[in-house]
Amino acid sequence: MRVQQRSGAMLIELSRGITLQPGTFTAVIAPEKKILSALNSNRDLQRFLFLYVSGNYSRILTGISRTSGNFETRRPFTADQLLTVIQESGHTILFVEHDPTLFDGAERLYDPVASALRQAGRESLVILWAPASDRSFAALARRADRIIEIIADNTGDAGHGIPSRRSCREQGRASGAQRTLEVS
Amino acid sequence: MWILDSAYREGGVDLWSKGENGTVQRIHHAYDPPFCLTLPDPDAHHEMLVALEEEYRAEPCRFSTIFGECEGYRVFAGRPVAEAIEQQTGFAVQLFNVDVRRDQRFMAEHGIVPCSTDMTTRFSPEIAHDLKIMEIRIKGNPSPTRSCTAIEVIHDRTEHLAGSEQEVLFDLCTLLTSCDPDVILMPHADLWMPILAAKAGNAGLTLPFSRNGKYRSIGSRSYWSYGRVEHKDAALIPDGRILIDTEQSFVYREGGLAGVLMGARLSGLNPCLVSRLTPGTLISSYETYEAVRRGIAVPFRKSDAESLRKLASLRTGDRGGMMFQPEPGIFENVDEIDFTSMYPSIIVKANLSPETIRHTDTEKRGFLPIALEPLLDMRIATKQRKKIDPSLAGIDAILKWMLVTCFGYTGYKNAKFGRIEVHEAITERSREILLGAKTIADTLGFAVLHGNVDCLWVQGSPVTALQDAINRQSGLSSEIDHYDWIVFLPLKNGSGAYTRYYGRLADGSVKVRGIAARRHDTPEYIRTMQAAMLAAMGRARTVSELAGAWDDVRSIYHQAAERLPSAPAGELVISRRISRLNYSHRCIEGAAVDAYRKSGTELAPGMKIRYVVRDARTYRVDPAGSAETFDLPYYRQLLEKAWDEIAYAFRAGRSRSGGSGWPAGGSAPADTEPMQGLCPDEF
Repeated sequence: MRVQQRSGAMLIELSRGITLQPGTFTAVIAPEKKILSALNSNRDLQRFLFLYVSGNYSRILTGISRTSGNFETRRPFTADQLLTVIQESGHTILFVEHDPTLFDGAERLYDPVASALRQAGRESLVILWAPASDRSFAALARRADRIIEIIADNTGDAGHGIPSRRSCREQGRASGAQRTLEVS
Repeated sequence: MWILDSAYREGGVDLWSKGENGTVQRIHHAYDPPFCLTLPDPDAHHEMLVALEEEYRAEPCRFSTIFGECEGYRVFAGRPVAEAIEQQTGFAVQLFNVDVRRDQRFMAEHGIVPCSTDMTTRFSPEIAHDLKIMEIRIKGNPSPTRSCTAIEVIHDRTEHLAGSEQEVLFDLCTLLTSCDPDVILMPHADLWMPILAAKAGNAGLTLPFSRNGKYRSIGSRSYWSYGRVEHKDAALIPDGRILIDTEQSFVYREGGLAGVLMGARLSGLNPCLVSRLTPGTLISSYETYEAVRRGIAVPFRKSDAESLRKLASLRTGDRGGMMFQPEPGIFENVDEIDFTSMYPSIIVKANLSPETIRHTDTEKRGFLPIALEPLLDMRIATKQRKKIDPSLAGIDAILKWMLVTCFGYTGYKNAKFGRIEVHEAITERSREILLGAKTIADTLGFAVLHGNVDCLWVQGSPVTALQDAINRQSGLSSEIDHYDWIVFLPLKNGSGAYTRYYGRLADGSVKVRGIAARRHDTPEYIRTMQAAMLAAMGRARTVSELAGAWDDVRSIYHQAAERLPSAPAGELVISRRISRLNYSHRCIEGAAVDAYRKSGTELAPGMKIRYVVRDARTYRVDPAGSAETFDLPYYRQLLEKAWDEIAYAFRAGRSRSGGSGWPAGGSAPADTEPMQGLCPDEF
């Protein structure tokens, strides 16, 4: 994800030849690794007020290495909360990691959320991302200005390679000093 | 007035009460409560408000939420109207008291407490009642195609009903009518009721389970709970009686009838419903009852999201409880300091609630601490009293579960009074408390062997001095369990397992966690073997005495291994809760699901299945009822795994003592080696 400013306008290059700009709502289907790399690799991104919105469980939030004070997060756990978050957002970039579980039993909010994303996209750069489409993603993406799908290559794009908590816990070591662990 | 059932019927609430003379009567109270709404810009919705006033009676009002007073409207209409308002306002409206059960709301508003004589006894662990109880046991598995020809009915005496299906059903109806029980305890009641109703209908009979012929129905559903899928069967609930599915009810299993009645008393729901709830829904219902009782409106939707936060703040805050990894091995004279209801105590002490979390310096107490404090006090008192009055164990168990889940509910997406920041603040304080406790223990010269969120295992003395110091610093209360010896098992890589241990308590009992005897999926044959070994080990007061138990333990293993080939298949049943119906790779569980399907049983995620592995190599599995043979090598492996959990104690004991006094022939424990494939003569 490259950020360019031409004549005062901000452009984000998501992939070669694919640029995103403020004033648009774009639905993106892309592998986790691709998105994570895009979020982590571009230093210019730190200059803009960025809101990362995830749901109950984020696939990539733990892999994001942004340290900028401009990078903020908010986690709605229901579709109603997602609607509130979008409506209250005043960020230059609004990145929504799609969580279909938010819409379990809340299909009534497909249209209001999609409208809110589109509305927010009039002034901000709004990206709705999912690694694969599903019913709720498709419903939200219907109101998007553009839908971009980036196909995974064969270089292990499926995940971002961050070891799970379990695998961290079970990494081998000889018994020795006492260790601590935090559990949910 | 002792309320034993409640239902919303025909524009009002039916309360079924048992009088002092033993008669049960139904009183109907007309009740059609409004819901409340507030709009950010009422003028923008002027026409809608006028229409609501004209069509449904809507009037301006002020009402309280946990965040303070609100200007809004009360509307005398139901949920469909509320949902239409949501749509019409583009979801700008905030709605309250839309989905509170009307019978619960009626009782909360009128100071009525089910299963109690009055409000003053609500937080008393005494449950006095003169309910007539009947137990109905129908022989065989619930199936519409199976004839119902044998029923055991236990009331003042035990009666065995047998004969043709029509005769048996007639006798059952006659018994129910003549005995007129207040409580019916029935294994698999929720599966049997629709079957019985259909069979009775075919026989020209009307089932007299309901006291007025009316039933409420609850649909079946699968849902996520604590990271796993659960399933709840549909239920047919009779009016005027308490019908408990003793096989399926979590509340009954944990708390017995007293636990169900206590749950009803606290939550303001009828006992039939309480017996079908999870502890999470129970605590949520308790909070709802408390809110309504205190005049606080209950939000319909959760629209207030987490606050904006920096990534670093999220990483710091979004963590769980603290654990210290134990060294694997066997230890003597160990004390477990267990904080009593740690998380709810933190909520109460630190005034953690959605409306106070951003203003922790506020003098005003939050809703959650106010609501939970009496429950917490009651639990602490009941836990103490249980030691001299075991009859309180069921009530204590229900209180414990309610308080355990009250923490999880603060982070649950649909919790009416939850907020993720509260959840995080609780775990943050718990980490501070456990770390603080460890520091005190270190300072006083104790060895900290293990720590697990709200427990600390220490060696040293005097432990009461340590306990006092920890209690003083944390402001919480704690209890001590003394182990004569305790075994912390290793992980495959040789480091200590966090939640797999067993040990002999001071009263001679053996406490086990995470091993075969405790696991729900362990076949009975293996559980029995390990339980017998633990019983033999439990007779040893010291680690050195434990060496003497080796012959007994080894003999139990030998006998179990020798008899395994001729074990009944029924004792090798594995019980699992399925999380899905389709499996992308071949596995035993998937094969079991297929086997159930082939046998014509409909499954849903969250259901428990019981099966016997016929051939693990080719994934052949039989449902429990039809299994005749089993895969001997597969079960021998399970047996050895269970054996090894026990044998480890002896390896560790020998290693600890340098071999002296311990039986020869075995190698010293090799912590870095996996515990597989042991020869039964070694440990």
